[in-house]
Formats: sequence, C-alpha cells, structure tokens
Amino acid sequence: MNITSFQFLCFFTVLLALYYIIPKKMQWGLLLIASIGFFQAAGEWWLIIYPVTTIMIIYFGALYLHRVKEQKKKQIVLSLVVVLCVFLLCILKYFHLGLLAPLGISFYTLTLLGYLFDVYYEIGEPETNIGRLALFGYYFPTMISGPIVQYKEVKDQLYAGHAFDYTRVTFGLQRMIWGFFKKLVISERMGLVVNTVFNQYQDHSGLTVVIGAVCFTFQLYTDFGGCMDIVIGASEALGIILPENFDTPFFATNISEYWRRWHITLGTWLKNYLFYPLLRTKFFSTLPKKLKPKFGKKTAKKLTTYLAMLILWFTIGFWHGGLWKYIIGSGLLHWFYIVSGEVLEPLWKRLKTWFHVTDGSRGFVCFQRVRTFLLVTIGLIFFRADNVPAACHMLGSIFKEWNPEILWNGYLFELGLDWIEFTIAVVSLCILLLVSVLQQKKGIRERIAEKPLPVRWIIFFAAIFYVILLGNYGPDFSAAEFIYQGF
Amino acid sequence: MDREELFERLNTVFRDVFDDEDITVTDLTTANDIEDWDSLEHINLMAAVEEEFGIKFTMGQIVSMKNVGQMADIIQEKLG
Repeated sequence: MNITSFQFLCFFTVLLALYYIIPKKMQWGLLLIASIGFFQAAGEWWLIIYPVTTIMIIYFGALYLHRVKEQKKKQIVLSLVVVLCVFLLCILKYFHLGLLAPLGISFYTLTLLGYLFDVYYEIGEPETNIGRLALFGYYFPTMISGPIVQYKEVKDQLYAGHAFDYTRVTFGLQRMIWGFFKKLVISERMGLVVNTVFNQYQDHSGLTVVIGAVCFTFQLYTDFGGCMDIVIGASEALGIILPENFDTPFFATNISEYWRRWHITLGTWLKNYLFYPLLRTKFFSTLPKKLKPKFGKKTAKKLTTYLAMLILWFTIGFWHGGLWKYIIGSGLLHWFYIVSGEVLEPLWKRLKTWFHVTDGSRGFVCFQRVRTFLLVTIGLIFFRADNVPAACHMLGSIFKEWNPEILWNGYLFELGLDWIEFTIAVVSLCILLLVSVLQQKKGIRERIAEKPLPVRWIIFFAAIFYVILLGNYGPDFSAAEFIYQGF
Repeated sequence: MDREELFERLNTVFRDVFDDEDITVTDLTTANDIEDWDSLEHINLMAAVEEEFGIKFTMGQIVSMKNVGQMADIIQEKLG
C-alpha cells in the first residue's frame, strides 16, 4: 500500500477514527494490528515469516543480554544475533527476492538492532512484552522508510493511551498535506525531467545534464522529505511524536553539516552503533600512538579519524544497495569531500584572504550553500545513473557543450514538462523555499494557528486543492514508489 | 579526589585535546560550548580522559553523558 494512494488515505482515516473511539488501553493493540495489516498489504502473505523471525531473535537476544553479566557470553550472543539479522536482511535484499522484499526492510532491521545494542550497552531496559516490541519494530509509519526511532525515545508514547487532541490531530493532518505537496506536486514533476535526461543520457550534454541532475536532487529531497512529512504527520495525529529526519539540508554550508541535516536518524544510528564502537576498538584506539612518532600527535589523530570515516562512508554507500554507484555516490565521494576540505584547509584560508572574503558574510554563506548543493548533486548523479561508467559519461558530457540557449529557445519544455507544468514546478519550489525560510524562524503551523478561523480554513483548503488539482498522479492514481522505500 | 581537583585535571585534558589554553569547563559545559567538540572529537576526548584517570567508560556512558558535570560524576564513581 503506497502512502500516497487512495487506499492508504482510507486505511488511515478508518484507523484514526477507531483509534480515538476505542478504550485507550487498547490503542497500542490496534496500532499493532494496523501495522501487520499494512505490512501484509505490501506483498505475499508468507513474507510475514521474516518480521516474526526477526522479532523473536531480537526479543530473546535482548532478554538474554540483560540477564547475563559475563562480558564474553554477552559478546558472543550479540554477535550471533547481529549476524543472523544481517543474514536474513541480505537474503531478502540482495538475492532473488528483489520484487517480493517487504517494505523498507533495512529500516526496521536498523531500528531493532539499535534497541538490542542499547540493551547490550546497558543504556536501555529490554521489553518483556513481545507484542509491544513488535509494535516498536514494525510501527507502520516508520516501516516504510524511517525515521529510525530509538526505543527510549518512543516507548513512553507508543503504549500510552492518547486522548483526542484537536490541535495535535490538525497539526498532524496539515503536516501530511505538506508532504503530499512535496511528493505529488514537486517530486513527481521533477521525476519526468530526470527520467528524460538520465534514461537517454547519451543524447544529452552541457546545461541539459546539469538541469537533469539538479532536478534529481530536488526530486529525491522532496520525495524522501515528503514521505517523512506524511509519516511524521500521520504519527502526530495518533499522538506519537517521531524524531525529525530532515532539517533543511540545503541550507548547509559544508558537507559535514549537510549530513547532520539530511537523514538525521540514520546519521545518529551509525554514529552511536558503528562509528563510536569502531573508534573504541583496540586497533583504532592504539593507532594514534603508533602513528605519532612518524607524523606528530595532531596528524596521527587525524589520520586515524580519516581511516575510520572511510569505513563509515563505505558502509553508508553499501547500505544503499551494495552497488558501486551507491558506494561512490553516497559514500566514498562524501568522504573525499570532507577529508579534502580538512586537508586543504590552509589553501582555502589563503584563497579567502586573496579574495578578501570574510567568514559568515552573507555573500560567502550563499556561495558555501550553492557549493554544497552542487557537491551533493554530483554524488547524486552516481546515485541515479544506471552505473558508474554512465555517471562518469554524464559528468564528462557537461563540459562537452556550451548550450545556454536552451534556457530561452524552448528546448527546456521538451524534457518532459511543457511550459505550464514547468511553471507549476518552479512556483511550487519557490513556495517550498519560502516556507523553509519562514520555518527557520518560527514553526509555520504555529503561525497559521494564530490566524483567525476563516483565514485558517482558507489556507487549509487552498493547500488541499493545490495538491489535489496540481498533484501529478501516475496512470493508476498512485504516485510512483517512493525512491527511498527500497533501501 | 575532591571535585575541584578533578575539574583542574579535566581542564588540562580539555585544553590539550582541543588545543585551546583558554578553556575552563564547569558542571554545565556541553558540546555546544566548545567549538571543536563534535562527534569525532568526542571519542578522542573520552580516550584522553580515560588515560588521565586510568579508567574505562562504557559505550552507554559515552553516548549518554549530557555535560561535563555528568562526566565528572561518572569519573568520581569509578574512582570510588
């Protein structure tokens, strides 16, 4: 069931009504049933074996880790459980089950492993009720593509009773409409241009490729970000506040900051459960001392960090699908950006004095944002292209032709969007930018809530009609699959 | 060890790790107060503190300590 489909809206409406009618004690049970139903609607019935097996392994694993105090035994059990889960994940993800693989398997595997690690590190208590644990792992809004929640963040909300709260429900629904706007109005339109440019990449060069690539960056952001707005909004309407996954990533002034604003919950997960433990291993904690005589203290520390980061970025890339285009495009390339940014720091400093640039000046921040955006876009060319050679071909073809005339000779409207559609896309992107800027200062929904009733309803209906009328629905009235769902 | 002495030693570690002689930490100092204290530097800091006091933090303590005060509490607890 796609979350932009009519079926999902029906499913959610019925659930929302039932949720606030039944006794509060039964609410979490209803959510569990709804989540199982949601999962089952996505594929073959027998695929339920996968979540059931995973939950059982994690459930008993966590109880054991909590009870046993011997470090050796704990380590063995932890490794066994992790290997088993990752093994199951690999079977589903990388072998023949491609089409049948249930929704966002990586996301809930990460969610459940995070829970297990917390018990292992003695930060969290294990859940003794297997039904509750199942709801945590397979809560339907987060099942599709995150956010990756931490057990300690949601446990008080997930199983508590929630009384109907007008503000919270309307805020949730507003957030959902905003998500539909990003997804249906912007992302689907961007997708048409992206498909034209990337699918026949041999036929395009110069500015056309740049436009296609920039459109893909917008497509991915509005697709994934829109999906997050829908699921966080849906969950908010049910009284359960999920962590944010995006914080206007394209306002970032460098790549490190970009990753603190893009897919935030994945970043936190990897930091806590991969990067830190890695740096604490014997190899990494003694490496600076070994390198010190040769390179000096500071450089030795830096080299160690770069090496650990290399492993981290490789994993991020690999997680996206195990293909080199992902490993390079959303992994190693970003590692290269961050490391070269640091290593070449003296050069940047000299350039800045040369050009009389002051840090934090409006013009320079603007330059930094555009630069970060373009660097990310280069990575995303790899991500979207068929494979690495195709991506390299596209990058090369940008410099093969100087064709700014496409901006005014009408060629732009032959890439999949005619001039009306193109205008809608640009206007919608401007709305997105405006709202993002306003949101930085004060929540947009709080601003709307302060307005008099008629104004609120006008805004509400205008937004709904904008999405319904201008939403770009696929042929079967269900938007294309969310790009991130498969990861 | 009393708290004052502990903070003296913590100051030395912080100044060394962040290469800044002007740092003075208090109970309420957090990562937001020290510019270079990001998630990378955090681990280096932990290692330096461990070395200084001859203790070992657990991963749970490393990811959950909220400010220098909590760090000092854990150190005092470990030193007994």
